[in-house]
Amino acid sequence: MKFIVLSFNLLLVGLSLSCKQEKNNKVLDESTVLVEKNTNHLISIDSLIANLEDSNNNQVMVVAHRGDWRNAPENSLQAIENCIKMGVDMVEIDVRETKDGVLILMHDEAIDRTTTGKGNVSELTWEYLQTLDLQDGIGHSTSHKIPTLEEALVITKDKILVNLDKSYEIFDKCFKVAQKTGTVNQVIIKGAKTRNEVEKEFGQYLDKVYFMPIVRLANPDAPRMVEDYLKDSVPVAFEFTVPQDTIAFIEQFDEIREKGSSVWVNSLWPQHNGGHDDERAVLDQTIYDWFINNNIDIIQTDRPQVLLDYLRSKNLHK
Amino acid sequence: MKKIISLLVVNLLFSSLVYTQEQHRAAKILEHLKNPSNEYILAVSHRGDWRYAPENSLQAIQRCIDLGVDIIELDFRLTKDGHLIAMHDETVNRTTNGNGNVDELTLDQIRKFRLKNAAGVKHSRQQVPTLEEVMMMVKGKVMVNLDKTESRWVKEAYEVLKRTGTIDHAIFKGNDDFDVMREKYGSLMDRIIYMPKLWSENKDVRSYREKFETTINPFYYETLFDNTEVETFKMIKDLKKDNDGFLAIALWDELCAGKTDELAMLEGPEKAWGWLVEKGATAVMTDRPDELLKYLEQKGLRNE
Repeated sequence: MKFIVLSFNLLLVGLSLSCKQEKNNKVLDESTVLVEKNTNHLISIDSLIANLEDSNNNQVMVVAHRGDWRNAPENSLQAIENCIKMGVDMVEIDVRETKDGVLILMHDEAIDRTTTGKGNVSELTWEYLQTLDLQDGIGHSTSHKIPTLEEALVITKDKILVNLDKSYEIFDKCFKVAQKTGTVNQVIIKGAKTRNEVEKEFGQYLDKVYFMPIVRLANPDAPRMVEDYLKDSVPVAFEFTVPQDTIAFIEQFDEIREKGSSVWVNSLWPQHNGGHDDERAVLDQTIYDWFINNNIDIIQTDRPQVLLDYLRSKNLHK
Repeated sequence: MKKIISLLVVNLLFSSLVYTQEQHRAAKILEHLKNPSNEYILAVSHRGDWRYAPENSLQAIQRCIDLGVDIIELDFRLTKDGHLIAMHDETVNRTTNGNGNVDELTLDQIRKFRLKNAAGVKHSRQQVPTLEEVMMMVKGKVMVNLDKTESRWVKEAYEVLKRTGTIDHAIFKGNDDFDVMREKYGSLMDRIIYMPKLWSENKDVRSYREKFETTINPFYYETLFDNTEVETFKMIKDLKKDNDGFLAIALWDELCAGKTDELAMLEGPEKAWGWLVEKGATAVMTDRPDELLKYLEQKGLRNE
């Protein structure tokens, strides 16, 4: 009889221990590495490009929105370097042109939110912008500076793919910087454009950099748009915005990948993915299964570390 | 059989005791606060873990609890209709998708807004929490440091703490002289945990502290120093002598002689947090709770 009580006792202890452990495991690690840990995820640029071009392998690519903005100012060199260290495949950065024609990284039209200065990028000179500091996520100044596109591309060279947002209209200039820094093969441009528009406006670059159409599935023309692109020389990927997860078109992702285009969906916000977004996934990573199960093989996220850890646990990322 | 049942009862009692003790982590933290030590450095997280979830949100608070933070610094402001809500700025513009001044909005109006993530990233589902919700969440788990309430809403905050049974979970702070606080709040000053701030700009900072020492005798001081020449830095010696706690603020250069979180990130934690601890800090406020805790644990500075 004593034995039964004892074993019950042990069971209780065991239960409480296992509960404890489970709780500890739940604390996600998104911290910046202060003391070098075992993370060396550097992947060669050739294998990143090969992965991007292969729409049929089982590897899911991770794109970090504005760099690692949780741990460094958004669109800062540090935010890009953090992504490289983590093993992110592609960093999304925003390009704008100053009054005197310098290309810099900046998300908003105005510099007010992210720097110690004020005003619109297009009305400010690079000389002035250099004197400012970038601000952290709660709006306090840091020692980081506004990077030029050139500085940013130099640190990405041979290390990580780069999606240049807001660059479509000023691409002649962006392309020159990419040429100068030897990063043309790493550059990805996206646009919510029809095939016709892109060929007219962007034709000269289509065989030089990767162009990905953005297709909004709420748009009734979406299927025709996709069909147009799939006729021949298919794009390396499509970005789809999926406002509801009941949209029938999702079932075609499989086929689109078979035809040679990867499928990119953002996990950023609910309206991108029918509510299977980062905010929910951080509490329950199986939310990301929706992407995996629906043949999505490129995910842009605000939680690069969490997503990478999850994909690695499923052997869907190196 | 009786024996077994009684053993089982004892057993269950015992395990529930263990459970209750675990629930009372906040009480343990208060003990650390009252008995400052260089073997257990308190980790104080600024605005919750705002890198992880919107600043001053319940999720940012829960994250701190999960990480093992001791004290969460949060900001509270009074709405038009008299509710204390967690909000740093005077307006809701930066941190929510709404607009307007907190004191010109009702709680109902503010409830309709959704918080933004750091870097202004929109589309979070989270709402602005009230002080009451915050205290119910932290009860038994962690202490909070109430910012922005000083010299304004101590009474209102105290009422919420009383109602939620969390008076011993909250640390008030402020810059005002003791006489000003006594005049304004009377005997309330004897019932709350109050941590005066020692500002380097305060020319009479020594007599400012002396007045507190001879009245409510605080067990902790938030100590700010632009550089190591200022009076507040020299006063660390006195704090040590009186066995008072010294909370260092590692957020920005001008608060800690440049020994910031940022320096920890760029040049390693020894040069920043290590330096502050070496100078006698028994608590560190940080924007990097995860990294700070890892550092303190690795250095053996979290011996319960």
